[in-house]
Amino acid sequence: MTQVTDEVTRRELLRRAGLGAIVLVYGGMGAKTAVAGAPKFAHKQLKGTLRILQWSHFVPAFDKWFDNTYTKVWGRKNDTEVIVDHISQAELPARVAAEAAARKGHDMVATLAPLPQYEDLAIDHKEIVQEVTKKRGKMANVVHRSIYNPKTKRYFGFADNYAPDPLNYRIDEWRAVGLKPTTWDNVLKAAPRLRARGHPIGLGMSNEIDSNMFLMSLMMCFGGFIQSREHRVILNSKGTREALRFARELFRRGMTNEIFAWTASSNNNGMIAGRLSLALNAVSITRSLELSNTELADKIAFAPMPKGPHGRMGLEHVMHTYMVWKFASNKKAARKFLADLEITYRGAFLNSKLYNFPAWPNAVKNIRRPLMADDAKPRGKYGILDTISRKYTYNVGYPGTANAAMGEVFDTYLIPEMFARVAQGRVTPDAAAREYHRRIGRIYAKWRKRGKI
Amino acid sequence: MRKVAPYLVTGPFAIVLAFPFYWMLWTAFKTDQDLYNVENVPYTWTHGSPTFHNISFLFSDTQYRTWLQNTVIVGIVVVAITLAIALPAGYALARLSGQVGQSLGVGIFLTYLVPPTLLFLPLSRVIAELGLQDRLLALVLVYPSFTIPFSTWLLMGFFKTIPRELEDAALVDGASRLRTLRSVVFPVSLPGILTVVIFSFSLVMNEFVYALTFITTSSQKTISTGIYTELIRGDVFFWQGLMAATLLPSIPLALLYNVFLDRFIAGFTGGAFR
Repeated sequence: MTQVTDEVTRRELLRRAGLGAIVLVYGGMGAKTAVAGAPKFAHKQLKGTLRILQWSHFVPAFDKWFDNTYTKVWGRKNDTEVIVDHISQAELPARVAAEAAARKGHDMVATLAPLPQYEDLAIDHKEIVQEVTKKRGKMANVVHRSIYNPKTKRYFGFADNYAPDPLNYRIDEWRAVGLKPTTWDNVLKAAPRLRARGHPIGLGMSNEIDSNMFLMSLMMCFGGFIQSREHRVILNSKGTREALRFARELFRRGMTNEIFAWTASSNNNGMIAGRLSLALNAVSITRSLELSNTELADKIAFAPMPKGPHGRMGLEHVMHTYMVWKFASNKKAARKFLADLEITYRGAFLNSKLYNFPAWPNAVKNIRRPLMADDAKPRGKYGILDTISRKYTYNVGYPGTANAAMGEVFDTYLIPEMFARVAQGRVTPDAAAREYHRRIGRIYAKWRKRGKI
Repeated sequence: MRKVAPYLVTGPFAIVLAFPFYWMLWTAFKTDQDLYNVENVPYTWTHGSPTFHNISFLFSDTQYRTWLQNTVIVGIVVVAITLAIALPAGYALARLSGQVGQSLGVGIFLTYLVPPTLLFLPLSRVIAELGLQDRLLALVLVYPSFTIPFSTWLLMGFFKTIPRELEDAALVDGASRLRTLRSVVFPVSLPGILTVVIFSFSLVMNEFVYALTFITTSSQKTISTGIYTELIRGDVFFWQGLMAATLLPSIPLALLYNVFLDRFIAGFTGGAFR
């Protein structure tokens, strides 16, 4: 008897589940989330739709402003429906690769570093650059060198903004050890003392974007470069070997093993937890803390890249680059959208909480004023970003320009890999410089053969 | 000692496996001040914790409800398609093809082993050609490509455990093959079918690569990509929201697994000795 009751109950359960499924499927069809897909806007479809894919900005309010205010107003003015889709920055390359393979997708995609390897699939953005230059003067040099291919004489992308990459350091902890992170030598001296105080330095040597930026910058400060002005590989140099030795020493004296498993959020987590005494990052650390822990936020200051034997040279933290596909269905709207966005960039700059620096400096007049006027303490601390952006920010691949080979070196994280192996003692600095020079040389040979450098 | 031994063996396993859920539960209710303070004991709530803010944030500031709904819709449709194809296929391979069926079964299972990271590029072309980009139908079309092979293979093994005499008796009594299937084979195969249902649904819930590359519109996303997009912004992770968002859907799934645990085990081990 019991068994019968049991079976009936389960059957009833399955029957209800089936009914539930029907309700959900058909109910879903009525809603926007239906299996049948998003509803079409019949009347707008004819007049044009512009589809954009970009990252989820670390300031949620920026996406709200961009998606619900800026693009809506622009869309009404230009009789175009603008649809903005967001995904996590780490997954953008996979999605871009899928669109490139399918030759279908959004009209334009924006990535946090230029993707010159897709030059053949992207329009020449020269027209947009000229339009903005006509209204706002010269583009920032670091931007020009990041999106222009001198070999093909094409703009393979259009950067609307970039973020300077300052040092974030704990004023109280550095004061306690009696030093300032003004030179790499000072950083090395302070590192063991800071670690002993329970506040190590957090500079990554892992396969992720922040490590790439830090280590390429470090190399430049020591006179090591990946490529020459003429796009010849020059990695195996005295400067690179010096940088490798320095990084090994810095790890041994003042960092922990976690830097080999660094992710883009590690420096944020470490600083927000009050553990790290120094990190290299844009303003996301302090902006997060200003919302949750102002006391700690006030103890963090910004500084330019420390000075090395070759000077003070840093890279941009991100270079937000749009790429209009050749197969885009609304190239005309895409061109106008990008030009208009840059020409009136002040709104974007302010809504990004001063993260998005305009690619055309004159697109935001007197940029120092809003930076200095920010409420954060110490008062005016964001002002240094202006100096960093103008004086100490170079493009990835300096002294050459960004190109497909450099893009591949960047995307395959060869530089962090090289530094990590040396720091772990698995290879000597001299041998590493030789080995990676060869490996990078093969990448350059491949792209040279394809006529891209 | 005999009574204690199983606990000694399974106890540590249970603790290790349950720990992530415990961690999710604890973190989901923490405030920022509590979570990021390294001097705090992480297994306690202090500095304003516990808070329901992270849960309410999910429902008020993100499209979490929509992603849940999308996941359920895709899951149910994919399970239905999987059953509709894998049941007859599994039965045919087990009963009608003899040795050839065995080889075909292995062949089908091997297709399950091709990773989505290899397939997403060519499949994105297919999806684009069909005009299904950014539509849940894209996932409904693609997901069976990995649920059907596994389910067919699993059911094939299960059907082999059902004595042929049962079917022969029904056929002798005048039932057609279809009637035999419906009235004799499928009812006794319930553990196998339930296993396929639960396993396929779990696969759909966990799938990430296809969901990421085929869908970018927020309102069309499933949980696996929706929470990843909205709660990881650049290099800022909203840890408590992430934990809450992953914990919530795992609760009903865990309950479902527990309710059908015996049948689930029977379904998986059904063909193990044949």
